[in-house]
Amino acid sequence: MTAEPFVTDSATATPAHPPAPSAPKTVVNPPPVQSSRSRAVERVAGVLALVGTVTTVWLGLWVTPPDAAQGDLVRLVYVHPGVAWVALYLAFGLAAVSSVLYLWPRTRSLFWDRLAAAAVEVGVVFNVCTLVSGSIWGKPTWGVWWAWDARLTSTAVLLVLFLGYLALRRVPAEPDVRARRSAFVALFAAVDIPIVHFSVNWWNTLHQGATVLNPGLTLKIHGSMAWTLLLGFVSLTLVFVWMLLVRYRVGVLEDWLDANELGLALAERQSEGSGAPGPAARPVGVA
Amino acid sequence: MRYVVAGYVVILTVLFLYAVQLVWRRRRLARAVARVSVADGPPGAPGAGGVS
Repeated sequence: MTAEPFVTDSATATPAHPPAPSAPKTVVNPPPVQSSRSRAVERVAGVLALVGTVTTVWLGLWVTPPDAAQGDLVRLVYVHPGVAWVALYLAFGLAAVSSVLYLWPRTRSLFWDRLAAAAVEVGVVFNVCTLVSGSIWGKPTWGVWWAWDARLTSTAVLLVLFLGYLALRRVPAEPDVRARRSAFVALFAAVDIPIVHFSVNWWNTLHQGATVLNPGLTLKIHGSMAWTLLLGFVSLTLVFVWMLLVRYRVGVLEDWLDANELGLALAERQSEGSGAPGPAARPVGVA
Repeated sequence: MRYVVAGYVVILTVLFLYAVQLVWRRRRLARAVARVSVADGPPGAPGAGGVS
């Protein structure tokens, strides 16, 4: 936590101005207020994400034609690579970059730690969507819900690694200690990202090769199918941006409460000792 | 086609539920922050309320 240490009035008062016994004040950190600009960015991202997602679903289910080889199953391709793109490259990639920036002494700030935590949580949700939608596509295509294929297995390993990251963050520790150990775990987990990406090239896998992010960056899909696929990527990226902004804000509020609830508890103990009434309304049930 | 619909339903439901949970979590935390700042600061102090 970058917040200043708590200062009580009783600690800073001079003998000429003794603190009023009925008003022990503890918290000096102002509550985190979201700027109107940040709120506007969040709102615009949310509206664009919603419109884009609805349009992608409409184009994917009703407008685009069935594929010559896959039939209607190609419609899952408009969303499955999009969620995989967000989970693997945007969310976990951002978590890795943020972790490096936290560990780098010149850029060390809890901002990067919060950003990494937010990206990982959102990434885990998208990773689950990737595995489930891939499995639903695999059953009619391959005849099985799951195969221990290199792409599928490495993606599942990535999910487990980042679930471990989230579990580690729940271990009680000082914010700096938590941030440092989380950053190391994020970097360790991120080693799996290139393995997932190149798995279809390095091994002989059931999973098809990349449609967009292939070595030559050439689209292997055309016409309305290509536009719908690209719109799916953009829309799901906007969904990620909106979720990241909201989740980051949740992290800011959680950290502020963690720090200031301690201050309130100290004030209560002080007021018990002096016989003065403590802060009137302690929040309960705040995680 | 039922596999396709199932795939869309799963993805959209998971994302929608997570989004609702995020908004709900933020509101609950913002209310808690407002309560703490009101309980701890003098009336009318900066930050007493208005947290989102």
